[in-house]
Amino acid sequence: MLVLTRSMKQSIVIGTDVVVTVLEIRGDQVRLGISAPRSVSVHREEVFAELAEANRAAASPDAGSLDHLRDLRPPPSRT
Amino acid sequence: MPAATDAPASLRELHFDDGLPGFPGDRRFTLTPWGAEDSPFSVLQDVDDADLRFVVVPPEVFFPTYAPMLADDDAARLDLREPEDAIVLVVVTLGARPADATANLLGPVVVNRHSLAAAQVVLAGQDVPTRAPLVGP
Repeated sequence: MLVLTRSMKQSIVIGTDVVVTVLEIRGDQVRLGISAPRSVSVHREEVFAELAEANRAAASPDAGSLDHLRDLRPPPSRT
Repeated sequence: MPAATDAPASLRELHFDDGLPGFPGDRRFTLTPWGAEDSPFSVLQDVDDADLRFVVVPPEVFFPTYAPMLADDDAARLDLREPEDAIVLVVVTLGARPADATANLLGPVVVNRHSLAAAQVVLAGQDVPTRAPLVGP
């Protein structure tokens, strides 16, 4: 991991076009501004990790599990 | 923008520019309806890895009040201009019993129905679970 120290309003550049700027420091929280091209998605790491974990759990159910789908029907809707 | 949901329409190849979280290199998937005529489920099958697939379902089937709001950046990345441009699906995790099945409401799969560009987006700021039970309490 590359470790850099930045002060208020200073930035780092990642690749050629992702810029992370320290906007505010208050107590133990840092407010970061991220400037990136539209094609690059940016997420809080813990949320991304949670999604990755959920995907790994969901990936490639075996044939026996797939059979469960036959029994899954939505609750009857009220009209 | 709010995303409209709909049943998946075709077997053509979806393209995930960034893959999926946990599977960043898996970019090409086909979407195939699964089961009998009344089954709402489909299988997202990796074109380049026969062993990788996900079960997906339109969220409104089991979660009629689910109202995913896409961030502008996510909508722009998929070139979505109108809610009708999007197909929204949620990934299903199966368990030991049918009643253990859950859906990931935090990270819906969103597809541009015209270009077939797809992404699993993060509904930041919306308090929804990654494992919402499909049936039962």
